[in-house]
Amino acid sequence: MRQTARLFALLLRAYVRDRIALFFSLVVPLMLMVIFGYLNLGDFGRVSLAIDDQARNPSSAQIAQILRGIGTLQVTELTTDEALVKLRRTELDMLVVIPPDFAIAPARPGQAVPQLVIYGDDARPQQVAVGRQIVAQVIDRLSFAATQTAPIIGVKEETVQGVRLRYVDFLVPGILGVNVMQLAVFSVAFALVADKQRGVLRRIMATPVRVTNLLAAHVATRLVIATGQIAVLLLVALLLFNVTIIGGLAPLLVIALLGSILFLTIGFALAGWARTENQVPAIAQLITLPQFFFSGVFFSKNAAPEAIRPITNLLPLTFLNDALREISVQGATLWDVRTQIVGLLVWTAVGFVLAVRLFRFEKF
Amino acid sequence: MTPIVQVDDLRKRYGDIEAVRGVSFFVEPGEVFGLLGPNGAGKTTTVEILEGLRRADGGSATVAGVDVFRDPSGVKRRIGVQLQASAFPDHLTARETVRFFAACYDLVVDELALLRLVELEDRAGQPQAKLSGGQRQRLSIATALVNQPQVLFLDEPTTGLDPQARRNLWELIRGIQGRGTTVFLTTHYLDEAEILCDRVAIMDEGNIVALDPPRKLIEDLLERGFTKPVLQQRANLEDVFLDLTGHELREA
Repeated sequence: MRQTARLFALLLRAYVRDRIALFFSLVVPLMLMVIFGYLNLGDFGRVSLAIDDQARNPSSAQIAQILRGIGTLQVTELTTDEALVKLRRTELDMLVVIPPDFAIAPARPGQAVPQLVIYGDDARPQQVAVGRQIVAQVIDRLSFAATQTAPIIGVKEETVQGVRLRYVDFLVPGILGVNVMQLAVFSVAFALVADKQRGVLRRIMATPVRVTNLLAAHVATRLVIATGQIAVLLLVALLLFNVTIIGGLAPLLVIALLGSILFLTIGFALAGWARTENQVPAIAQLITLPQFFFSGVFFSKNAAPEAIRPITNLLPLTFLNDALREISVQGATLWDVRTQIVGLLVWTAVGFVLAVRLFRFEKF
Repeated sequence: MTPIVQVDDLRKRYGDIEAVRGVSFFVEPGEVFGLLGPNGAGKTTTVEILEGLRRADGGSATVAGVDVFRDPSGVKRRIGVQLQASAFPDHLTARETVRFFAACYDLVVDELALLRLVELEDRAGQPQAKLSGGQRQRLSIATALVNQPQVLFLDEPTTGLDPQARRNLWELIRGIQGRGTTVFLTTHYLDEAEILCDRVAIMDEGNIVALDPPRKLIEDLLERGFTKPVLQQRANLEDVFLDLTGHELREA
């Protein structure tokens, strides 16, 4: 423990002095967030959404009214046929069909729950994703309001009018996720392959240092840097873009650190495999780039072609982003995102096995 | 006296190449022992086995009373090493570099005292990467001394240094010997071996072909009727160089 702490103190000091590493861990993610946040603020303010109300009852009227009251949405009423034509012409982002049996009431045993059908324009995945999140949030809260007659103790009522979701709210968790991935994979892989090539690891292995302590010090260093990075990103998101983290910062940080550990194992595996520094960027990009595009960073993960979606839905970053986004945007708890947590843990196990097989200090 | 390093019939092969072919020798406590040989003779392999960094295929070796094959980390605790072609972690000062290696041994040391010993105290706060070649070799020796080793292994310590820096390092090595530490060095500079070593082993193609004090090896050669084809010069180019540029270290 003392050895780990002392090594950690020195490694962290060295890391903070490394201007290039700091630039990539702090400035680049901030730039990404600011550029994407600002670029899309004006243009992307509204999602055009059509409602086909086939129920025409108080419940459906209520949901339509709430949706109309949300600033982000531009709501029209259309029949399904009309709306589908417009969707195909990309004149409309999405369509919500309220079925005839729709009602907001506690479900009774054996009775099917009414289902809303949502159509989205594939060409505008961000808007559809934002719209979906809003509709999901509205429904969550309405269902909650309906079931609240049952004795649920200590839960306070929230107003549905508070629902709003802008692109930047959708974007921030994605930026967090992708930076957790980049920092973990690149910082470990570059630093350790350089150390390996220059003979630093050999020199260290000539001492009786406990390898687990040294690894723990490296991991702790990265987790501290990752926490700092997340804090700065969130601070800017809160101050500059007024982003609300509905589910709270603590669960968000827990998930981000779980993600960091996952991607650190992948970084170590890569560092063990690569012989020269030149191999690192190539392989690291091969690992991270598909996730960059298909795991829902800047736009919905549903932007991926349908054929590969079963795969992209299982990517490590997809689990991470989904969990971060559900916490941040929908106010999910850690228990709510347990599926994603399991996904992250399974990938961590895979990464750990790979790292242990590929990365051996004794080899250097 | 019991030898501090004892090697018997040590063997190591890499694929088809037999790098070390049954080498035996011992090192006495307190001496400076030199392992000489051309590149590829098997010096570094032999040393790295003794340092617990490489596994041998056969034979046995004890260093400071510890069986190298059974307890490599026990050996590592008792020796200090300077490796050929190795480097320090980036972005640390000279002092922090010493602290880093002390932490690797789980020891707390007087970092400045060690730096003073290698004449680097005034560079303590300087980034390690900004040190000159000779300074870095001296820092390397400081890091090898953090655990007060019984044997100090130096693998080609003066390669790439200018004549002044080499002489300065020789002084340092003699000083370390003077404090009772056994020094095991490899080199391919014969003048270095002749000046520093109490005994030298000459290695070629994986075998030790001679082992004696340098004086003895030279006398034996002369006894075999060897004469140098040209008359011995009374000075050489290095003497000229040092006469013109002085013996002082050039480091700033």
